[in-house]
Amino acid sequence: MNGKTIVITSGKGGVGKSTATANIGAALAMEGNRVAVIDMDIGLRNLDVLLGLENRIVYTIVDAAKGRCKIKQAAIKDKKIDNLFLIPASQSDNKDVLTTEEITNLCEKLRKEFDFILLDCPAGIEKGFQNSVAAADEAVVICTPEVSSVRDADRVIGLLYARSITPKLVVNRIVPEMVERGDMLSHEDVVDILSIDLIGLVPMDEQVVISTNTGVPLVTQKDSKAGEALRRIAYRLNGQPDLPIEVPTVKKSFWKTKINFRFGGKK
Amino acid sequence: MMEANQNKAIAQLKGVGDGLRVVIDPSQSAELLQQELKKIFQPLNHLSINARVVIDTGEGLVDENLVKTLGAYLKENFKVGSVSGIPPRPSARKARMRQRELDTCWNTNQSEVLMMAGRVRSGQKITAKRHLVLMGDVNPGGEIIAGGDIVVLGSLRGIAACGQPENFNAIIFALDFRPSQIQIGPLVAAGPPGAPKQKAEFAHVENNAIVVDDYLEAGPFSKLPWPEKR
Ligand SMILES: Nc1ncnc2c1ncn2[C@@H]1O[C@H](COP(=O)(O)OP(=O)(O)O)[C@@H](O)[C@H]1O
Ligand SMILES: [Mg+2]
Repeated sequence: MNGKTIVITSGKGGVGKSTATANIGAALAMEGNRVAVIDMDIGLRNLDVLLGLENRIVYTIVDAAKGRCKIKQAAIKDKKIDNLFLIPASQSDNKDVLTTEEITNLCEKLRKEFDFILLDCPAGIEKGFQNSVAAADEAVVICTPEVSSVRDADRVIGLLYARSITPKLVVNRIVPEMVERGDMLSHEDVVDILSIDLIGLVPMDEQVVISTNTGVPLVTQKDSKAGEALRRIAYRLNGQPDLPIEVPTVKKSFWKTKINFRFGGKK
Repeated sequence: MMEANQNKAIAQLKGVGDGLRVVIDPSQSAELLQQELKKIFQPLNHLSINARVVIDTGEGLVDENLVKTLGAYLKENFKVGSVSGIPPRPSARKARMRQRELDTCWNTNQSEVLMMAGRVRSGQKITAKRHLVLMGDVNPGGEIIAGGDIVVLGSLRGIAACGQPENFNAIIFALDFRPSQIQIGPLVAAGPPGAPKQKAEFAHVENNAIVVDDYLEAGPFSKLPWPEKR
């Protein structure tokens, strides 16, 4: 097996990286891929909570990367979804305990075991970010329609390009009513500045909060707008890059025009 | 006489419009020229009386005294009315010089320009010693700095500083001008607030303040008499 390592990053915190990682990972696994989701946010772990696995943690990524346990021991199998595994962050360690080499070596080993390795990147552009990016083949940048989030995403995109990674963009937490009123940046405004390929538009959805609390990924539910959008992102990563991107709208039938943003050539 | 027979005559009568125009070779001595003028004016007989005579010295530097000397000679001997030199016409000569300058400006007049293409993202910075041309955009949080002018063929939404450290003559131009901040030399201005507009504008200094104008309307360089080096 020669899996793909994808870093989910944003620069800014609280924009939906962990939510996206858990849900895209779950959706990819439901498609039959072997998936490892890795919480790179050492000292501030929460991917385990999103997946409802917090009470099963024995070993962490720090143990696995430092060879204190086997990868199999650190990778926690999901309760419901076969093929989905979580490697949790350590809560007690300092965020800089891991070296870039330790992470890249770990990911090299994981590649042989999994089809997809999703790295839930910590906020910021320091060591944790650098480590995550160093180990990644591809990147998904999460951004919300806010000026500060766009600014941070732009910074991160520049850093990714500097490492020859061409990132893809998710705009999360879109409130169509606000966009319509002109109170929120539209995804076009965001894409206009960031000018990278769009891979998904995720609406604001209170179900996200509910699913976070219950520890069941949204993509397992049929009737969630955000879940549907996240599922389609997984499909695009999983061999359907041209699946049209649907724009969240105010209407009850919540998809409007189908668009397909693409900058530059296909990868 | 020998010289007079050569291709370029020492003195010649050229047109009699509303007066007599005599083209002379100002490099010749006054005596020689007087001899030649005599040959021209004697056959004119009374036609020369009270005539308005213009002495055309060509494009060379006009020696005022030469025209005066010859004028006095003509008035005394042929009773001409007035004698004047042709007002100097430096433009023709200068135009040729300038054209030559344009033709060879690549060799003699190269501007130092850093020409870049792409998007300057948040946290990125481009610095040019002199002029900077960017075929692309500057995102919010991006920065471009130049010792001379800045030309952005795209959206300018970040920070642009031209004329660094203290050239007040430098300008910042962008096809889509909406920077967050601009600097010209030591002067600083916050970007124009309000709705985003897609307009080709430029910032320059007027009375020690930064002013932003519509580029095509203002045409800051369209009034220059001749293309010049920046
Ligand atoms: N599409 C969405 N709709 C509503 N809430 C969301 C959405 N995406 C994320 N959230 C909420 O935003 C908060 C931050 O999300 P999280 O995934 O933890 O961000 P990050 O990992 O980038 O810090 C969480 O409370 C999450 O429930
Ligand atoms: Mg997180």
